[in-house]
Amino acid sequence: MRNSKPPLAVICTALCQARSVLSSIPYSYCQSRCARTLKIRSHVARGTTFRYTHLHRAPASLSTLHQPMEAKIFRWWAGRILRLCTRRSSGAAAPGSGATIFALSSGQGRCGIAVIRTSGPSSGHALRILTAARDLPPARHASLRLLSDPRSGEPLDRALVLWFPGPRSFTGEDCVEFHVHGGPAVVSGVLQALGSVPGLRPAEAGEFTRRAFANGKLNLTEVEGLADLIHAETEAQRRQALRQLDGELGHLCRGWAETLTKALAHVEAYIDFGEDDNLEEGVLEQADIEVRALEVALGAHLRDARRGQRLRSGAHVVVTGPPNAGKSSLVNLLSRKPVSIVSPEPGTTRDVLETPVDLAGFPVLLSDTAGLREGVGPVEQEGVRRARESCNFLATVVASVGAQSPSDSSQRLLLVLNKSDLLSPEGPGPRPDLPPHLLLSCLTGEGLDGLLEALRKELAAVCGDPSTGSPLLTRARHQHHLQGCLDALSHYKPSKDLALAAEALRVARGHLTRLTGGGGTEEILDIIFRDFCVGK
Amino acid sequence: MFYLRGCGRWVAASFTKQQFPLVRLSSDSAAPRTPHFDVIVIGGGHAGTEAATAAARCGSRTLLLTHRVDTIGQMSCNPSFGGIGKGHLMREVDALDGLCSRICDQSGVHYKVLNRRKGPAVWGLRAQIDRKLYKQNMQKEILNTPLLTVQEGAVEDLILTEPEPEHTGKCRVSGVVLVDGSTVYAESVILTTGTFLRGMIVIGLEMHPAGRLGDQPSIGLAQTLEKLGFVVGRLKTGTPPRIAKDSINFSILNKQTPDNPSVPFSFTNETVWIKPEDQLPCYLTYTNPRVDEIVLNNLHLNSHVKETTRGPRYCPSIESKVLRFPNRLHQVWLEPEGMDSDLIYPQGLSMTLPTELQEKMITCIRGLEKAKVIQPGYGVQYDYLDPRQITPSLETHLVQRLFFAGQINGTTGYEEAAAQGVIAGINASLRVSRKPPFVVSRTEGYIGVLIDDLTTLGTSEPYRMFTSRVEFRLSLRPDNADIRLTLRGYKDAGCVSQQRYERACWMKSSLEEGISVLKSIEFSSSKWKNLIPEVSISTSRSLPVRALDVLKYEEVDMDSLAKAVPEPLKKYTKCRELAERLKIEATYESVLFHQLQEIKGVQQDEALQLPKDIDYLTIRDVSLSHEVREKLHFSRPQTIGAASRIPGVTPAAIINLLRFVKTTQQRQAAMNESPKTDQCLRNADRLQERQFLLSPATLPRRTSLTDTFLTLKPTLSPGRASLKASWCISTDFTSVVTLTGAKVTTIPGLRTPVSTRPTGTVPIPKNIYSILNTYEGR
Repeated sequence: MRNSKPPLAVICTALCQARSVLSSIPYSYCQSRCARTLKIRSHVARGTTFRYTHLHRAPASLSTLHQPMEAKIFRWWAGRILRLCTRRSSGAAAPGSGATIFALSSGQGRCGIAVIRTSGPSSGHALRILTAARDLPPARHASLRLLSDPRSGEPLDRALVLWFPGPRSFTGEDCVEFHVHGGPAVVSGVLQALGSVPGLRPAEAGEFTRRAFANGKLNLTEVEGLADLIHAETEAQRRQALRQLDGELGHLCRGWAETLTKALAHVEAYIDFGEDDNLEEGVLEQADIEVRALEVALGAHLRDARRGQRLRSGAHVVVTGPPNAGKSSLVNLLSRKPVSIVSPEPGTTRDVLETPVDLAGFPVLLSDTAGLREGVGPVEQEGVRRARESCNFLATVVASVGAQSPSDSSQRLLLVLNKSDLLSPEGPGPRPDLPPHLLLSCLTGEGLDGLLEALRKELAAVCGDPSTGSPLLTRARHQHHLQGCLDALSHYKPSKDLALAAEALRVARGHLTRLTGGGGTEEILDIIFRDFCVGK
Repeated sequence: MFYLRGCGRWVAASFTKQQFPLVRLSSDSAAPRTPHFDVIVIGGGHAGTEAATAAARCGSRTLLLTHRVDTIGQMSCNPSFGGIGKGHLMREVDALDGLCSRICDQSGVHYKVLNRRKGPAVWGLRAQIDRKLYKQNMQKEILNTPLLTVQEGAVEDLILTEPEPEHTGKCRVSGVVLVDGSTVYAESVILTTGTFLRGMIVIGLEMHPAGRLGDQPSIGLAQTLEKLGFVVGRLKTGTPPRIAKDSINFSILNKQTPDNPSVPFSFTNETVWIKPEDQLPCYLTYTNPRVDEIVLNNLHLNSHVKETTRGPRYCPSIESKVLRFPNRLHQVWLEPEGMDSDLIYPQGLSMTLPTELQEKMITCIRGLEKAKVIQPGYGVQYDYLDPRQITPSLETHLVQRLFFAGQINGTTGYEEAAAQGVIAGINASLRVSRKPPFVVSRTEGYIGVLIDDLTTLGTSEPYRMFTSRVEFRLSLRPDNADIRLTLRGYKDAGCVSQQRYERACWMKSSLEEGISVLKSIEFSSSKWKNLIPEVSISTSRSLPVRALDVLKYEEVDMDSLAKAVPEPLKKYTKCRELAERLKIEATYESVLFHQLQEIKGVQQDEALQLPKDIDYLTIRDVSLSHEVREKLHFSRPQTIGAASRIPGVTPAAIINLLRFVKTTQQRQAAMNESPKTDQCLRNADRLQERQFLLSPATLPRRTSLTDTFLTLKPTLSPGRASLKASWCISTDFTSVVTLTGAKVTTIPGLRTPVSTRPTGTVPIPKNIYSILNTYEGR
């Protein structure tokens, strides 16, 4: 154990895998140039200095930890992980074949470093492709590499990569870790690049753990409670995936899946019943037309999606309310820059002003709107109309007293009462019949902490827990499966071997149903028996 | 024709001769009064005959019990075997040395491969069968099978005894009681009662109990099964009327001729018994609006259609076709019932109308204007047992050594029954010889898909095989069933003859060699174009093209390839079957590579066995929702793979199960290391949640006993402590478990479990209290 010094990055991963509250600390170390030679001891000693730099975005529990306690826990973790790393591989079955999976292993949000992990036989291949065909780095040593997109050759990021040949890796298979800079553009770029390597696919919920399990790498009885963690994780990921599918894309996907299922059912019916029973004429031709149309639609969507991919990531927060309530001041305060012009005059803001900000670790698009009032000039009326329109976004901050919900109740509302500095300390508070609200003074900054905390809660509800599902990853998943579906459809040639053609449709449907759920054989049979009179 | 008749008589003669051993058995005074067999098969239908012969092939002394010996091998419904998906099943039955394929090759009157143009993965071998010949050939085969005894008799009850402790199940079957009160003992019993469990025949508004027209149903047996706690459901099926052949005007109908040459069902047959030109044709006609009218006007006279007993989603009867797809013409195939039969079977006209209306309806149909109905169509309603109550080896969860096969499990079709019969026969025999069960996985065959679907999902309609049910359709083809199953059947089950095994081995090695040779031959695309001008290969590719890739083209076969490259390909064209199979392998080569990856994934999941004796409803070490628990409890999946296919079992539940499996495996590994303590461990298991006192590892240094005692759950998560221990004692002072290598550590704020490995029990010394006091004193 003494002579096999594990690289620090292993600890980082294991920590982030366990979702330790300390996950932010090792990431900062990966950035440091001496990461490769750092020893655990010095890490613990220096951990404290980095603690403060990350405090502003670390979970609340971290800030409450006392330094000695933290060091103690960390030392324990280091010990455990050392043992995990150096434990000989068990006599379980050889690393399973099958696809190579990849996933963003660190939390979502704007973090310094994001860790992307792959596991499976093609890991080494993927690493070589992304690092432009250089040799594999020495095993279990952090090395700095320039990652570039294999299709375009465009550089993505300068990143630390770690190569863990199986069986001495977390899952027991060949693993690669990419420690890239944490911006959404970089992360999604790398994820997409990985998705384009043949043989790689995004990991399903809990799949890394399952592989580790299957290869006898993870003894859950040793780390009690991790099962519950996985439980929470898979459930959260499932919910996350469902939520992501509620939108327009989900609607599209379900539509496509339906079309494809029907086309497949008809081809299957033609195979299973074409000779004995009388199917109507043109079953295959109809399926063919539908598949071709689907191919065109998918192709168009994918080309479009690629362009719009990096534009916006995050929830919309709209600040709205009556004029002169201090909406623009609030926006300026939240974004910490003068986005909107502020004046004591009502109706200063006439347009919808959008600015991307980082609110409590969530990427957010903050919109300032014109104050809602009737009977003003046509320009301001247009502003009011736009303001109402933008309320159709996700989260809404309602500023000032008495404002009623401007849209239907399905949206999340946060009632904020500004100018609390005007309330006299002894005098009566706001009216008692108000719905739950927050008091804020943009002038003095009083109540801002409360507002941020409330926003964090709201955003967590909207975006999901940042440490589990990530919209970036989900989007990469979407793209991967849609591309896979499209590729499979191009193999659909019903004029030749119909079993092969049906197989292409099955693969395509498999990709779509990974996104939409469902996908059993019974669905196919249901359609067959609904649409055709077959049987004897 | 002459030959045929002669053949029939010969069969009959040998049949009577073969009855002697049976007679001798019952009259032999030296034999025990109650005969004892290894395996008893109840029922002589398609599942029963396969089960009985499979068990006998595996080396078990087998008894086939049937209501009437002369109905063994009876085809009670359609006079045909095979079809799309079903042909696959027959090939697999044959690969396991089953009977039906070989008998069909001796009894068919019209052989045809369906789906010829749709790719070899979905070819459907099919044949019209001469009922009489099939029955004769089957009976000849059955009565000539070594180790197999046939006896007439209706089974009234099962004999049940204490269960074996190492298996689950509340009791064990050890024989049967016949209607006449006599008993027969056996190690395993297979039930293949088909539609006879409380069978009820329906024609119009009439209903009378019968398993098949003219045969008595089994009511006592149904009651026994229900009393045992089996979940029983009710299904319905039907059969069309039979029409006199000479009353049909065939001249105005579409004629369908058989294939030339005929493709045999069995791997062991080069050809079938009859020449294509001697085979009988089938004819096609259609229904018309007048048929619809008769059905719709007489629904009140049709209790079978009205009743709520669940029928299939597909349309089995003309009534359901008319009701669900009105204003359409439906096909009616007129199929011959045999060489010398005067009957025609109108496929597609299953009905349960009153007899006179059946005749009226049939005469509306073109070509059948003067048709005479010889036997009316009828519906059958029968009990089936929810197949989620059986394991993939077809043994029941409830009763040890009791196997179910065939229609009793909710399937329909001869082929589905035969496939289950083979598996049940093999497993009943393996169970007797205490060998591990023979389970075909979904990745290995249609049989696997059939049984996995039944045992994990159950069924609410008569289950019929379709190729669309099969995920790995391109790998599980009719042509390669021998390679998939014969080798396994020989090694794991012992149900395959040496000759068949050697043939399959030869075929496998030849195919592998052929494919590697084809891969090794590489020419430029322009050279291929010169060698085989008819191939539409694109010459723009600069990379060399393998012979295997050229073989993928539709217009290329092994013959043309061997003509172009005689050395070394010529030798592969000598065997026609080999040449054809090489072509098929080439067609699917690229896709099979991907499918193989998926198959491996599925197999990995299936390798993770769930413990058989796990009680999902009460087990505490797995965190599962109540709903999931109930589903798992009912289906009792054998592997993680099967569990993940049960609808409603969430990924989180699977992960939890996985965790459970892993810990169980570890426990078993620990048990294997110290085999002596098996019993102690099992005792420890029973003492769930019992308090244990953990002794200190370093006894002499101890000062106080109480502060270091802890609670040990002896099952999975043994508890926590902050000391090292060498033995522990239960709080009720009845047993002591010695532990070695028990590492117990703890960290403030984080929980870790103890890893304990019990190595033995010592009886509690009588002076335990004084010992404890001694410790206390120190």
